[in-house]
Amino acid sequence: MMRLQTDQPTRAERAAYLAEALAGLYEGPVELAPTPGGRRAALRRLRDFDPRDYARTRNDVVRRGVSLLSPYLRHGILGLAEVRDFLVTRFAPGPGLAKFVNELAWRAFWQLVYAEKGEAVHQDLEPAKVSLRRERGVPADVEQAATGLVCLDTALRELYTDGYMHNHARMWVAAYLQHWRGIDWRDGAALFYRHLLDGDPASNSLSWQWIASTFSHKPYFFNRENVERFSGGAYCATCPLAREGCPFDASYEELAVRLFAE
Amino acid sequence: MPNAIVWLHGDSLSSVDPALLALPEAPAIFVFDEPFLQQARLSFKRLFFLYESALEALEGRNGFVYRGEVVETIRTFCLTHAADEIHVTTSVAPRFNRYVQQLRRQFKVVVYQPQPLVHWRGAAPRRFSAFWRRVETEALRPTGSGPQAYTEQSS
Ligand SMILES: Cc1cc2nc3c(=O)[nH]c(=O)nc-3n(C[C@H](O)[C@H](O)[C@H](O)COP(=O)(O)OP(=O)(O)OC[C@H]3O[C@@H](n4cnc5c(N)ncnc54)[C@H](O)[C@@H]3O)c2cc1C
Repeated sequence: MMRLQTDQPTRAERAAYLAEALAGLYEGPVELAPTPGGRRAALRRLRDFDPRDYARTRNDVVRRGVSLLSPYLRHGILGLAEVRDFLVTRFAPGPGLAKFVNELAWRAFWQLVYAEKGEAVHQDLEPAKVSLRRERGVPADVEQAATGLVCLDTALRELYTDGYMHNHARMWVAAYLQHWRGIDWRDGAALFYRHLLDGDPASNSLSWQWIASTFSHKPYFFNRENVERFSGGAYCATCPLAREGCPFDASYEELAVRLFAE
Repeated sequence: MPNAIVWLHGDSLSSVDPALLALPEAPAIFVFDEPFLQQARLSFKRLFFLYESALEALEGRNGFVYRGEVVETIRTFCLTHAADEIHVTTSVAPRFNRYVQQLRRQFKVVVYQPQPLVHWRGAAPRRFSAFWRRVETEALRPTGSGPQAYTEQSS
């Protein structure tokens, strides 16, 4: 065991020191996410968050009406109850606030499942409802955010550099890796867990299982129309595959046949 | 009054951690879990976020950050401070519960419960919708006004 210093004056000095002190315990470059640790920063984000439009804007990957509180909630720097209390006593009841509390409850639910199932959350909790190819290992183009699909590469780059990904983009990336590329959800979940500042054994593995259909009634997948709608068309506008070769450019019925017919 | 230490971990890394607040004078420790991190291969930015959060939580206290095997490091820390009690906030993680069991062979471990979003008794339902139906009313009802330290800390 080794005692770490706690008195470096600047963030850069702290980072340089920690990189040496924790040598062998991390993988990849010594880079910082812009999100600062600690409760002061968490409280600033909480104070800046306005939930009134949340129900309408939360799914938009570009406009983002989300709180960005997840790293703090995940590490107990903020509690679910105090966040609820703060918002409910400051904002009048409405669909935005109700939806936000509903999302907080997702976290509470996954924690409940984790308390009950323990390490089993990292394996299939139910049989898949469709046939999954389950190849092992994350493809290199995904590791490098170089799939050529702007909607996914933008999300992956943010994951690797900022340690964050918007919820809707997490759903796209997770569905793409599993249903289009045939990768086992456990490898996708491990990739997310390594990078997300909010990386949480329960929320992460159980969300991947929800998309796989091993903890839901059916698999989640999406199409191009969904990407265009929830990004205001921004990704497709610059995507080299938009005119030809977009793997998402089909109806849900067609995609279901393409992805899941044996 | 027995000597006690406070153990902070990655599921409760705040300056208002209930165990930390309960024992303002006690030495406190956060440990980077060496065997776990060796196999988890996390990115550096995640570890830095934890470090920064731990430093702030321990600010102004007799606080320490270590890397090592968690149970062994806490055991040594207790011996150094002649402590026979460990105060810690709970976690649902199986690893946390294993560590608590091991520490209980030698020390008294006092486990604090953070305030839950909703109270739930019994098994988890299979789907969120069933959970939400039962907790919705309680979930939307405040039990206080939010972070206690809000006014001091948010300036
Ligand atoms: C494949 C996949 C993996 C995920 N992995 C994680 C993870 O490791 N850790 C994690 O905290 N969340 C995870 N989520 C849930 C969700 O994407 C994030 O909590 C959310 O994007 C965080 O951003 P935010 O704080 O701005 O969210 P907001 O929309 O502002 O939500 C507020 C808070 O509610 C909670 N929350 C919101 N949505 C969910 C959800 N679907 N499940 C659980 N909690 C939720 C979070 O604590 C979040 O901070 C995952 C989702 C998917 C689809």
